[in-house]
Amino acid sequence: MSGKAASGGIGDRFGGVLSAPYTLIMKVLDIPMRAVQNAIGERRMPYVFLLPNFLLFGLFVFLPLILNVGYSLTGGSKLYLSERPFVGLGQYATLLDCTNHLQPSTCREDHFWRGVYNTITFVVLQVVFMVLFSLLTAVVLNMKIRGRGFFRAVYFFPVLLSPVVVALIWKWILQREGLLNGAITTLGGEKILFFVEPGWAMFWAVFVSIWAHMGFYTLILLAGLQAIPADIYEAAEMDGTKKWRAFHRLTLPLLMPNLIVVIVLSLIKGVQTFDEVFVLTGGGPGTATLLVVQYIYETAFSNQVQNFGLAGAASVMLGVVLFALTLLQLFFARKGEKPT
Amino acid sequence: MAQLELKGVHKSYGPVKTIHGVDLSIGDGEFVVFVGPSGCGKSTLLRMIAGLEEITDGTVSIDGKVVNDVPAADRGLAMVFQSYALYPHMSVYQNMAFGLENMGLPRPEIEKRVQRATTMLQLEPYLQRKPKMLSGGQRQRVAIGRAIVRDPKIFLFDEPLSNLDAELRVAMRKELSALHAEIGGTMIYVTHDQVEAMTLADRIVVLRAGRIEQVGTPLDLYHRPANQFVAGFIGSPRMNFLKGTVAAPGTIAIAGGRSLDLPAAAGLPAGEEVTVGIRPEHVALCGREDADVMIRLDLVEHLGGETYLYGQSETLPSMTIKQDGDCAATRGDMLPLRLVRDRLHLFDSAGLVRRAA
Repeated sequence: MSGKAASGGIGDRFGGVLSAPYTLIMKVLDIPMRAVQNAIGERRMPYVFLLPNFLLFGLFVFLPLILNVGYSLTGGSKLYLSERPFVGLGQYATLLDCTNHLQPSTCREDHFWRGVYNTITFVVLQVVFMVLFSLLTAVVLNMKIRGRGFFRAVYFFPVLLSPVVVALIWKWILQREGLLNGAITTLGGEKILFFVEPGWAMFWAVFVSIWAHMGFYTLILLAGLQAIPADIYEAAEMDGTKKWRAFHRLTLPLLMPNLIVVIVLSLIKGVQTFDEVFVLTGGGPGTATLLVVQYIYETAFSNQVQNFGLAGAASVMLGVVLFALTLLQLFFARKGEKPT
Repeated sequence: MAQLELKGVHKSYGPVKTIHGVDLSIGDGEFVVFVGPSGCGKSTLLRMIAGLEEITDGTVSIDGKVVNDVPAADRGLAMVFQSYALYPHMSVYQNMAFGLENMGLPRPEIEKRVQRATTMLQLEPYLQRKPKMLSGGQRQRVAIGRAIVRDPKIFLFDEPLSNLDAELRVAMRKELSALHAEIGGTMIYVTHDQVEAMTLADRIVVLRAGRIEQVGTPLDLYHRPANQFVAGFIGSPRMNFLKGTVAAPGTIAIAGGRSLDLPAAAGLPAGEEVTVGIRPEHVALCGREDADVMIRLDLVEHLGGETYLYGQSETLPSMTIKQDGDCAATRGDMLPLRLVRDRLHLFDSAGLVRRAA
């Protein structure tokens, strides 16, 4: 009995030591918070708690957004907005100035349009194959297979890596003297210059992007698959449903809310893609894998003439597209919440 | 309609045995209810008949043909699940038609069968609704309809009324009885609710720990239980059990009560510990001089048409007595009780019933 009391005492004292800094901070904060509450009243206190986040959001998201719109309406190469001449929608006109919009070479800003078409190609391929592969993986991982937990972890692991690390790993594998070419030559084949051939470069850009993010979407689909009650499949079995028909008529429709989330999220993420493709291919060969975000980055920061106005206008246009996609996602998410 | 036969059916999950050799014959058009406490293996047995669980050992035969290796869909059975297991994205019509489409039936035949089932189950107004837009009772009717349209040899019901509230359960019970009368199919029904078992079954199969304890008609089980488990499980409120000892051949000394002359105890040796069982409706209030036992009343439940009295004494376990609705007994009363002799059940030390020769 006394032993128990003693151990409880030690536990209490240990806990007391651990919580001491917390208690101290609370005591220090208590005085001004009480003063604020007395001054503005208890009902307005929630706004005080929201204020720090609002400030950070305003400073690092909302203000740059406004500034970006401001830059997109100005010209010249000066950094400070106050020193830049107002050009109205001139930058947008420059971006949209084409003889034939389907042929980037006829556009004044041909790199922007190449970026747009490359991004569309990249996004379409990435979304289609991302959904296919993550669905296939989720279905397999949902089966009673040996080492299921291990494989679930393995497929999710790349998601934890930084996109730059992912791109560097694959660059080491795919470059001229990389692992893959090493394996090909060992087997008697000829080296393939993956980053010199435009088709290969786009293929690997899409492949690496899918490899890096597939685990996340697989997880969403796996959660959806596990939410489908097992007795529905048993009822289908009693109904004499063949496996493929059960997948097509039961699994796919019941998984649709998750599939829509995956499609829209991968669409948004695909449009935003920059770092992994930039590190992997640098947008090359030529402009074969140049994406819109890379165009914006280079126009604003790495070209000899830093054109903040043009980059700002391209950013705003990209922002509008992303906003529309986000609305689409919210629409489907709300539709999914409503009872049907 | 069909006959079903189970012979030496065993089920094991790895080293864990859940069904220990079940033998059972179910006749054409019979309504048989599997009943037992949770974990007794009744649902497992049903799922093995359905083809949703593999049979570890023994055989399941339908109309004389062993179906152990026949896939669920080809056994000609239909099952109604506890959770309804309706396809949530399909309408009532699509739910019922899905299995028929799998069978490759022509569209007019599918429509005819669904129409017939929906009329029978009064589901016509809901044909285009999704399951989410239906009440629990309506969903259960759709699940039953899905089974009916397949025109199965045997209907299997796995605790189909468990998710319904008490009032709806009673209503659905009546509907199921009427349905059986109308269709006349062989039906196997699993429940843990002995009232459902008593009201629905032609025959009841009482299961415990993967073994059949007794098979019989509801009244057979009620009046002639094979053992103390069945006696306690069938009947509500449950049978009272009083500990006793064989004082002399044919005489039982009840702990805390009078000695009872029981012909059923004639063959038992003196000194053997036994249990005397008596149902609450077979215990009578009497004068002190006629009392077999005395108890102090702990609780009185007036249900209007009947009254339940609960009491005990220092030497007797808790007892339940059923009386008329106008019974005047109150809490704290000392009640002299007489046990109606020809309604007593005697169980030996192994829990098996002993009957008079």
